[in-house]
Amino acid sequence: MTEKPDLFLRKATGLIRSWSVMDAFIYAFFSINLVTLGLYTMSQAYAFNGGMIPALIISAVLILAEIVVYSGLIAVMPRAGGDYVWQSRILGGGVGFILAMTGWCFILWLWTPLYADMLRHIVLVPLAAVLGFKDAALSIASSPMAWLAVCVITCAFVFLVIALGMKSYARVQKFCFWVGNVGLLVVLGLLFAGNQGAFRSNFDAGAAQLLGLKDAYAAIEAAGTAAGATTPMWGGSLGQVFLLMPFLAFFNLWPNWGATLYGEVKGSQDFRKNFLGMASALIVTTALAIVLLLAIDKALGWGFYMKANAAYWSARWGLAQGAAVMPVWPYPAFLAVLSIHSTLLRVLILAAMAMWFFGWAGTIYLSSTRILFSASFDRLLPEAMAAIDPKTRTPFNALLFMIIPGLVVSVLFVFNIWNFSSLTLVSTLVIAVTFLGTGIAAVVLPFTKKALYRASPLANFRIGKLPLISLFGLVFCAFLGFLLYEWLVDPGNLYGISYRNVPSMLFMGFLYLLAVGVYVGMRAYRRRSGIDVDKIYGEIPVE
Amino acid sequence: MTGKALVPIVRLASGRWRAVLLQQVSELESEAEVAAMEKAIASRGYYPFRTDEEEMAAFAADQAAVDRLFHKTVIDVMARWMEIAEKKLAGSGIACYVCPGNDDAFEIDEVIAGSSAVSDAEGRIVDLGEGFTMASTGWSNPTPWKTHREAEESDLYARLTALIPADADCSHWIFNLHAPPRGTGLDDAPELDENLFVKNAGQSVVPVGSSAVHRIIEEKAPLLSLHGHIHEAKGVARIGTTLCINPGSLYEQGVLQGAVIDLDPRRGIRSYVLTTG
Repeated sequence: MTEKPDLFLRKATGLIRSWSVMDAFIYAFFSINLVTLGLYTMSQAYAFNGGMIPALIISAVLILAEIVVYSGLIAVMPRAGGDYVWQSRILGGGVGFILAMTGWCFILWLWTPLYADMLRHIVLVPLAAVLGFKDAALSIASSPMAWLAVCVITCAFVFLVIALGMKSYARVQKFCFWVGNVGLLVVLGLLFAGNQGAFRSNFDAGAAQLLGLKDAYAAIEAAGTAAGATTPMWGGSLGQVFLLMPFLAFFNLWPNWGATLYGEVKGSQDFRKNFLGMASALIVTTALAIVLLLAIDKALGWGFYMKANAAYWSARWGLAQGAAVMPVWPYPAFLAVLSIHSTLLRVLILAAMAMWFFGWAGTIYLSSTRILFSASFDRLLPEAMAAIDPKTRTPFNALLFMIIPGLVVSVLFVFNIWNFSSLTLVSTLVIAVTFLGTGIAAVVLPFTKKALYRASPLANFRIGKLPLISLFGLVFCAFLGFLLYEWLVDPGNLYGISYRNVPSMLFMGFLYLLAVGVYVGMRAYRRRSGIDVDKIYGEIPVE
Repeated sequence: MTGKALVPIVRLASGRWRAVLLQQVSELESEAEVAAMEKAIASRGYYPFRTDEEEMAAFAADQAAVDRLFHKTVIDVMARWMEIAEKKLAGSGIACYVCPGNDDAFEIDEVIAGSSAVSDAEGRIVDLGEGFTMASTGWSNPTPWKTHREAEESDLYARLTALIPADADCSHWIFNLHAPPRGTGLDDAPELDENLFVKNAGQSVVPVGSSAVHRIIEEKAPLLSLHGHIHEAKGVARIGTTLCINPGSLYEQGVLQGAVIDLDPRRGIRSYVLTTG
């Protein structure tokens, strides 16, 4: 029997088949990176009363609304530029430019020292320690100059990735995905096979041998308790659980990170496929996080793990008196390999776990450069911003625009000038504001861009009489509203970036003023040159 | 210029109509709903046509019949566009040049030739006045789809050098070449596997433009070079002093992208802006 087709195609350029959900999954999976972002932020949230696992689950459920919003917008307008293009077209060019430039470009400057911090603690320090370079390990872990050097290395790595091109890096990412997951599986195996009694003796022996610490376990127990390590794995009231989410957002708010890259790729209008790619990454990552926390509880004891985090961060933030009893970040993979004695095996496991960093870090500025290109093509940035070197095909100007200020911010952060080291969560806040703009755009899309919406496959998705994208947009906006309230007002004084933190306010104010200044200035400059940039966003009515 | 798909709106035995657009199945009841679906399909740059289940079965078994329907529809729609252009442009003093791209069958050239408002610029040197000259071709380098107007790079280069006189001073020339120059970012397209599936979720892009086009721009250094072909690669680039533009295409979202360029006989390019209509 002949199969009845739904449409007939002629031979024509661009008639390509869609991507696999697995590929989309890998990209989103790395964007909400459990080993880098996840462990880094969970370790800092040691002084709460809500359970970590309930917070992971509830925040993931809420972030599914974000995935519906972004999958929907990609289906309606799958254009390279993501938030910038959606907001420009739906909310207006000025709003789109300011929110996209701050949330996808300027704030990535602040991410530079954070990426570098993760590189040193997840890759350099543990590898140096197990290889017997004790002094190097301790120096990299604590010296600001070493951290700054790692910032430079991070930028050099990103430069290399972008110069190599995404074709090459996509292959690197796939390699890192599989090797990193094998590494994680081994770490989970070690943790589940261990017990707290054995861990204590292994930890004391390992800490003495690799880091020169004596009776480290007992010292950390005491220091962690004194530092106020309270966060439980389970339990707590719903309100207490919610208070963990402004920390967790640093890790799990980004399954949409590839949105700026979709462009006009055939199949990108398939709402279900976009949703599945991002949602499966979020669900699998959340499940993996829970399994990892259970494994940590089994081998280390949840209480000890939180005390180790408290001992480390309280000393680093200057909250604890005296010398740091935990001079290196309590990286669970490092703690797990202390149960084995082969240096080669330790190195192999830690190197495999390092792939979680390398498969992810290359994209720190990738989305930024895309946004810079879009703004340049819209004449809101100089044409040179989108220039590509003819030999290497590298966007040197756009990269330098990200790297140089990134290194300046790194100096401020690493040396804690103007209290910059307290600004970690600002990195998430500013992007959340950009996402809020996109959430609002999603809510109003079916009502303000009726023709565009009705001509999209999304028009068939409704709950009752309400468009699906508007409904989930409201949920997403409400979630972001809660996060922003907690960060900015912070009644419990939990996150350190509220209005009471003047450098935090000034830094964010500077970023937004810079974006407004560039927009107003470029608009006026173009107008003098005879270009009305408002026309770029204008639409010709359909006849 | 021509659409890539015929989308059937099938009359079912129940009297309702069924259409699948962008993987979404719609069952339609009234004439108004069917007309709205036809408009939605057309706004995507596809061709709607009404049919029934019996005829659909026949089409599914007879590719030649599909080709004939495509041919007729393409010609009809192109003729309708020419009529619209004549109505809009008559007496306006605006010259309208078009250049069929590699996807367009040769039959549409006859339709354009019959228009009094639209000129086919394919393979021609056109004097635009005020000292500006335009050279055009819609031919491209080879694609995986083996379309109507594509040639090997060496043949394409020969075609371009035959079009543009060797001794021409191109400082006030506009090259209107469908294929973008290779490796400029105006030609970045998603990497595909051998079965034309997008690799790496579309994250991996590769240059697919023409090295012949790049070479002729380098050699002749025209004032401006206009391109299309790679819909995803909206952008602006420079080869030497030549400004190269690919406005990209979003016709499948019912959006018209373009470039408005202000030329000045003395200064060359006074300004340009890429538009999204």
